[in-house]
Amino acid sequence: MSRVVFHAVKMEYERNKSLGVAPVIPHGPIIVADWHRCPDSKEYFTKIFQKKRRKTFGLLEAPAMPPQIHVDTVRYKIFLAGKSGVGKTALAARLGGSDIPNMHYETTGIETTAVFWPVKLKENGRVLFFKYLFWDCGENALRRFDHLLPSCKEQVDAILFLFSFTDHGSFEDLSNQISRVTDPSDRIVKLVVGTKFDLFMHTDVTEREIASFQETWGLPVFRVGGDVNGGLGEVAPLLNALAEHLWHQDCVAASCVPPSSQV
Amino acid sequence: MLQAEGVQLLCLTASSGVPLFSRGSTKQLPFSVIGSLNGVHMFGGGQGALLSCCETDRGARVVWRVFRDSVMLIAVSSGGDSTVTELQLCRLLENTWNCMVLVLGQEELSNVRNVERLKRDLRSCYRLIDQLLDPGDDESVMGYLTNCADCLLPPNPSLLQEALDAFTQAADSEFGCLLIRGRVAVATEKWWRLVSQEVVLLSLLVRCMSGTTSCDYPVFLPVGSPTVAHRLLRFQLLQGVDVCTLCGPAPSLHHAKTELVGRFWSPLMETLHGLLAQTQHTPVPSIALHPDILALLLINRETSRSLSVPGRPPAVTPQDGVPPLPSSSRRWELLRLFYTFAITRYFTSGEAAAPPAEPLQEDFSQGFCHTPLHCYLVTEECKCYGLQTPQHQLFLLAALTMPTFALRSIATQTLTSITAATGF
Ligand SMILES: Nc1nc2c(ncn2[C@@H]2O[C@H](COP(=O)(O)OP(=O)(O)OP(=O)(O)O)[C@@H](O)[C@H]2O)c(=O)[nH]1
Ligand SMILES: [Mg+2]
Repeated sequence: MSRVVFHAVKMEYERNKSLGVAPVIPHGPIIVADWHRCPDSKEYFTKIFQKKRRKTFGLLEAPAMPPQIHVDTVRYKIFLAGKSGVGKTALAARLGGSDIPNMHYETTGIETTAVFWPVKLKENGRVLFFKYLFWDCGENALRRFDHLLPSCKEQVDAILFLFSFTDHGSFEDLSNQISRVTDPSDRIVKLVVGTKFDLFMHTDVTEREIASFQETWGLPVFRVGGDVNGGLGEVAPLLNALAEHLWHQDCVAASCVPPSSQV
Repeated sequence: MLQAEGVQLLCLTASSGVPLFSRGSTKQLPFSVIGSLNGVHMFGGGQGALLSCCETDRGARVVWRVFRDSVMLIAVSSGGDSTVTELQLCRLLENTWNCMVLVLGQEELSNVRNVERLKRDLRSCYRLIDQLLDPGDDESVMGYLTNCADCLLPPNPSLLQEALDAFTQAADSEFGCLLIRGRVAVATEKWWRLVSQEVVLLSLLVRCMSGTTSCDYPVFLPVGSPTVAHRLLRFQLLQGVDVCTLCGPAPSLHHAKTELVGRFWSPLMETLHGLLAQTQHTPVPSIALHPDILALLLINRETSRSLSVPGRPPAVTPQDGVPPLPSSSRRWELLRLFYTFAITRYFTSGEAAAPPAEPLQEDFSQGFCHTPLHCYLVTEECKCYGLQTPQHQLFLLAALTMPTFALRSIATQTLTSITAATGF
């Protein structure tokens, strides 16, 4: 996966160069990979759990760190796009650590889910809480009410384009989705997520198709699926990749990318 | 709950009887039966008779209702051990229709041009409808039966009211509401002017979304605005505390969330935490009930608000010679049954509580030349007492150990003490 991430970082760099922004780009990842497995992350990750389950945070709440430890929180708005039934609501629940609905109930508007994710920066060992706000809008509601899409796009930092491994149509729909919600000059982080990968026996989308999609669009593709077991392993790759891309994007925007020599 | 009792809900086009959807009971009725159910209703219509309800000798019930001459809803309960009353089925049909309007708007439902398309669009109502059929573990919520908003009385409402009014105004709205565990704690004056079924449905909608942080849902108000959608903005402040507003085009969800929520609600964080703790076991923390009261439902008939207050929890180890107290879930069930019994037989005059259509059962109360003000019932499980005043209705369950002659005074005292202490 790190190869894919690196590839995306490079793409980003190339694009920024063409826009006249030419900061120095780090070689390799900016954040500590798989930090949730390191012992020093424990005191941070326990704060996003409650009674062995992931904690849901209301808008006024945040992980409670002891007063002597100061952790900055960086907030990002992330839009989930994809055909009805691909699993946007399920993905938001999965990333937030709640059970995924086993029925498909159409989402009849916008719902947001907040996810706190501790991240350690490679360069200086600084720890940050990434607060992701996932914006999930039912596709049929989106078509019915014109005001929803602009609202989802307002000040968005990243978009996850979803397709389902069991629905080839949703894979074909990706290019429509991408052109509908983005334009080539925006600075939005884009990732693609294939859902229902646990149903690979019934898969409709081949590895070759995915490779060729990646080639054409230069977007990394993630695979998720299966029951939520509450562990971090199933969500860490995606949440870390988001952190990587978003932090990088911020650095580019602020032209403060750490010099490559230090990495 | 209704689902568990084998209730099935059918929706057909009124003109041609084309099935639109069916929810509920996992054992689906065969198509031929659905056809016959539609057929008898149509036959009645042809004879100038309105078929609204029937009951088999084994206790199964069917209730029909046509909405706006375009959609027919049928509820079927399988009978047997089930205790689903006619009132519950009537309410289910009403609420289902209101959910359909809430999500899709009246226009699409009344002028059906393309049946296949309507069928597809109706799928977006399933979440709410299934919630009506199976309201989950919070059994003390009764709004879908009483048509009254389930409330909670915070001990310090003025602070919350001020914050809510200011927040609502800042969100360019006059309609705002603060829900604690799905019950209305405070609301703006305009929110209370929505018809009570709307308040009930909006609370239901918010309860459906408990896992998420905020929402922006287009909603049609079944009575107040059935053809123009408003935006329901909802923010989860803490787990179990939600604030909602009904808005026009502005503000955007992003703006409201990043600019307004923190400004108006952060200062109240401690208050809200405290309130959550105080109301963990009762919606009226300022009141101590008589220890023999198992549960009660208090309705304010003028404001269409209700309180469901649990009594003393059942003892873990039953004592010798003392009959065991019903479990708390059984208490709510008994209270629902007693409520239904009392308002269909005795307290029939209250508009807010009476069934919508013509009285469907042979009119028991017509035998009286007076309006009953009190009623009681002694069963093998508990004693029940109901009383009504021009402003209130109280339905109370007491343990069998309470002497029957004491019911009346305990009920009257309870009503007086709650209303005096809280102004409810
Ligand atoms: N097996 C499996 N099922 C999944 C997965 N993700 C979603 N589903 C199922 O797919 C169905 C649809 O998922 P939703 O998340 O509700 O779909 P959605 O994209 O939000 O759809 P709309 O709100 O209509 O736009 C549900 O029944 C989920 O249980 C997965 O990873 N594995
Ligand atoms: Mg959805």
